Amino acid sequence: MSSSEITQAAAGTGTVPAGSVRLDHVTHRYGRGGEAFTAVGPVDLTVPDGEFLVLVGASGCGKSTLLRLIAGFEQPTQGSVLVSGGRPRPGETAGVVFQTPRLFPWRTVRGNIDVALRYAGVDRGQWPERRRELLTRVGLEGTENRRTWEISGGQQQRVAIARALAAENPLLLLDEPFAALDALTRERLQEDVRRVADLTGRTTVFVTHSADEAVFLGSRIVVLTRSPGTVALDLPITLPRGDVDAEELRGSQEFAELRAEVAHAVKAAAAA
Amino acid sequence: MSTTPALLKPDDRADVIPEPRVHARGGWTRVRHVALPFGSLLLFLALWHLLAASGTWSETLVPPPAKVWDAFIEVSGTHGGVRGYNGTTLVEHLGISLRRIALGAGVGITAGVVFGLLMGTVGWLRSLFEPWITFLRTLPPLAYFSLLIIWLGINEEPKITLLAVAAFPPVAVSTTTAVAAVPKSLTEAARALGASRWDVVRDVVVPSALPETLTGIRLAVGVAYSSLVAAELVNGLPGIGGMVKDAANYNNTPVVLVGIIAIGVSGLIIDGLLLRLERTVVPWRGRA
Repeated sequence: MSSSEITQAAAGTGTVPAGSVRLDHVTHRYGRGGEAFTAVGPVDLTVPDGEFLVLVGASGCGKSTLLRLIAGFEQPTQGSVLVSGGRPRPGETAGVVFQTPRLFPWRTVRGNIDVALRYAGVDRGQWPERRRELLTRVGLEGTENRRTWEISGGQQQRVAIARALAAENPLLLLDEPFAALDALTRERLQEDVRRVADLTGRTTVFVTHSADEAVFLGSRIVVLTRSPGTVALDLPITLPRGDVDAEELRGSQEFAELRAEVAHAVKAAAAA
Repeated sequence: MSTTPALLKPDDRADVIPEPRVHARGGWTRVRHVALPFGSLLLFLALWHLLAASGTWSETLVPPPAKVWDAFIEVSGTHGGVRGYNGTTLVEHLGISLRRIALGAGVGITAGVVFGLLMGTVGWLRSLFEPWITFLRTLPPLAYFSLLIIWLGINEEPKITLLAVAAFPPVAVSTTTAVAAVPKSLTEAARALGASRWDVVRDVVVPSALPETLTGIRLAVGVAYSSLVAAELVNGLPGIGGMVKDAANYNNTPVVLVGIIAIGVSGLIIDGLLLRLERTVVPWRGRA
């Protein structure tokens, strides 16, 4: 594994940093006996805290399953998953953004944020301020009183991101969150997620099938093989982060080369 | 209709079609929603009057509308020293019955919601209770009314119990189905935000099941309403169903009809109110 150095580095410090993820020989099977289907594995992967890891692979390669394992929604059939040094627990160890917004239609935008703040144990007196802060961070000022079906798909996904950020978990998991959006909205949201991740410095694991999206977002890209997914390529991305011009970045030579490399690796991994 | 020519002669006004069409459609909507129902009511009354006047049947079988109207006036107040029907006015009869329905259906609906929530969330409870509820649902209320009278006597208890038993199954069934059908995507989203089991029930399961539960409640009130006359068959006076039953004993067809119309109209009004409540309480219906 090319990540072994990082694994050792993390193990050597004694205390495990919040937000780090460690997968040891993780395999996940759906079903039992003769009908069992191995979706993932074996996968060894270590994500140090603060990293923006993008998992890329063709449809059905098990990348969503891998994310669900890290979120704690599924338990590995074999191996172990550790988040911040402990077993992942839904709602406690990571914030999750799904493929669809999954907003509660019986609550307004405000209500959807507030319920997340309540679950996060935020003091009620701080809700208005924290809500404003979260909505501003995802560019949704002034939509508080809207019903979830009155806002666009992109705005709905922004609410979902704000909701996932409410608990301030050191780890944020996103499962192809922009797949259903139009290209323009997708690019804007990518820029926002990149900015938010840089700003908050929290560990992020982002699943996508798009090489373009992966290169733009990730500080590291892991390409998965066809099902059962295993690591085919582990690539650090050294594109500038922080305050950068997104257009310039997307237009750069380096970006184009990386995108070609990742796209090629995804195709090769899917065919293998 | 002044707007119909535009539709009948499209050739003449081909250049301005969109405008008159919109008008015509608006007019047609008004016709359909107001004039047609009202017209059909008038037509019905006219046919009824003609049928009664033709003398095909005796007045005891088919009294003319005017006779029914007279009966309505008579039972609505005090005339010639006689107060309403059997000493109670129509509104009072109706009020007493509505109170019985409110009590009975209230108990049945509450029990139905509780059972539905439990059965929808706990699989083995559903297996345990569902056959009994299905059995109960297939029984016409009159079938168990005799039993209720043996057990509970002839006063308020059997009537209210009957209405409760009749209202219970629709709510229990619809709530169970709705709770069992709560989208896993939403319960998972709540869990991902840190919701406890109880949080999930309160914030996701209940609101998600609410639209269908309210439909069940509307059905239950309807069933309770249609069981009203049955519930008031024995010792039902005062009460609108009891009034109908009693009037029938004396071949007093006009009062029977007044009672039937009162039950029907008040039922429609209550259903309309419930429908309105449903729209206000669950604006997200069909949007999830």
